[in-house]
Amino acid sequence: MTHGRFTRREFLATAAVASGTLALGRSAHAKGSVTAAMYPGTWEEAFRAHVVPALKKAHDVDLEMTPLFAVDQIAKAQASRGAPPFDAFVLDPGPRVTGLDRGLYEKFDAKRLGNLGRLPAGMVDEWGVTVAAQVVGIGYNPKKLPRPKSWTDLLKDPWVSRLGMTGFQTTYGTVSIIEISKQFGGSETNVEPFFVEMKKVLSKVATIGAPASMPALFQQGQCDITYTNTQTVATLRGRDVDIEFVKPESGAVAFFTTMHIAKGSREVENAYKYFDTVISAPVQAALMQPPNNFIPVNRDVKLAPYLPMASLDEMARFVRHDWSKINPLRASWIERFNKEVSK
Amino acid sequence: MRFRWAEWQLVLPLGMAYAAFFLVPLALLIAVSVFADEKITTLGLATWHKFLGDPFTWKVIFDTVKLGCLTVAATTLIAYPLALVYLGAGPRWQRVILFVVILPLLTSVVVRTFAGIVILGREGVINQTILWLGLSPAPLRLLQTEHGLVIALTQIEMPLLLLPLLSVMSRMDPSLRDASAGLGASKWRTLFRVTLPLSLPGLVAGCMLVFASCTTAFISQFVIGGNRLVYLPLLIWQQSLVVYNWPLASVAALTLLVSVGLGVAAISALGRRSRAYAV
Repeated sequence: MTHGRFTRREFLATAAVASGTLALGRSAHAKGSVTAAMYPGTWEEAFRAHVVPALKKAHDVDLEMTPLFAVDQIAKAQASRGAPPFDAFVLDPGPRVTGLDRGLYEKFDAKRLGNLGRLPAGMVDEWGVTVAAQVVGIGYNPKKLPRPKSWTDLLKDPWVSRLGMTGFQTTYGTVSIIEISKQFGGSETNVEPFFVEMKKVLSKVATIGAPASMPALFQQGQCDITYTNTQTVATLRGRDVDIEFVKPESGAVAFFTTMHIAKGSREVENAYKYFDTVISAPVQAALMQPPNNFIPVNRDVKLAPYLPMASLDEMARFVRHDWSKINPLRASWIERFNKEVSK
Repeated sequence: MRFRWAEWQLVLPLGMAYAAFFLVPLALLIAVSVFADEKITTLGLATWHKFLGDPFTWKVIFDTVKLGCLTVAATTLIAYPLALVYLGAGPRWQRVILFVVILPLLTSVVVRTFAGIVILGREGVINQTILWLGLSPAPLRLLQTEHGLVIALTQIEMPLLLLPLLSVMSRMDPSLRDASAGLGASKWRTLFRVTLPLSLPGLVAGCMLVFASCTTAFISQFVIGGNRLVYLPLLIWQQSLVVYNWPLASVAALTLLVSVGLGVAAISALGRRSRAYAV
């Protein structure tokens, strides 16, 4: 037995030394790390494939990712005030404004980004940097339906009986419904006309689904037309689904995905290096390629042919929204939507 | 009985885990629910008033409980005959049945739910079969309907009912059924007077699990049911993670807790009553 105990002790000692060496070796090797919240799915996979190696190569910094949707990031950061569970946010405009209201970001100094000059105007502010764009319009199946022209076509025959709708839970859903409302006399803060028009055709609408299930519902032929973004259209096309993106007559909607440093982060320096890597031309170009299908923000990247614009500057003419006005109304819109669509 | 510290020490780890990960969060949930504003600054019962004063809330509570009842009924109708087959099968077939029952548990609920879209959709397996057999001129609407959701949940929740049921049934003394037959009881009489009463504890436990699980199955409800069917978990998700109204989310969560709790208690009471009747 004594012999056995010795081996165990030896084993533990060796293990301790080994793990100590590993830990030392690691800290001596990398110049530290940065923990970033990341959208699960396409974003996480694309960042693992392109940003992680690029950041390691350029700055010797390890990127750790915590998969979280925008709304979950805000909820987590808010729940752990002062000790954020990650250093960097990645957010859509709605949650971005909420985070700003609740003081969740460190002040941002854009001059610390080496690639700042390559971004079009308005892509940085005192709170963060834009890393990707999203363009929202109509996606439809050209084999089953004629090409729609405007947002109002969604609520008309023959399109409405094949329409897939989502509510105000997502950014793309919210801006699409606002655009439909505008065509019927509404505005950014008045979606009443949408509800009035929707009620008239509600029984015909093919499907009203969870946002995450919309691509699957389209793929399965449950609906053949829906409001969506170019990324989803490109991803579905990559899976041989018959879908085409249409820029509505009144203009496609653009919104931007931004990154921010979490208040209380201890890796501010590495967070800047991370952001700079994300907006660098090679990484942006790689993120634009299938199956990632991001819309880049770096002027040096030549835009993919399927995108509804020839240059990034054209996006200035796309429809934009003020989320500081939308956010306060969103809760009541969601409540209203629940009541209107449930039988 | 004398209090024996040595024995109590054994439950200490679980007790502490419960306290830390269930009781404390529950207390927090209750605390957050008594704030009147979404920034959590003013105390008051305004959130409760707003939520419970809205007739829509009561419709949602009713629909949630109804979904639970329908799923429990459908699961029982399908699971019980299967359990009887298990009871009559030899050891090898029993193993096969058990494996088939457990199989769905080995895949993630998300995968099973998205498979539901493929199976129940317009161009899904069920509709293609129905059209091929000429049973209906057009595809049936199964996705985003209550009956479609019940079909999907029945498949998803089936193991939760079958496992306790099979475990109770396999411990049943087979000579009791033989005795019943030997004394001249018909097969149906043996089923209702011997097998069913003896298997009730497993059936009741399974029904409680199914009820609690399907009324709170947010992903399945939202993906298969869509936005046309609104249940309490959807309200909780919208309020907590889309509009950040945590007091309202807490109120909805506590409402769900109470409604599911009452449903489970009702099933348990029903089980006790029918056992008394059967004996």
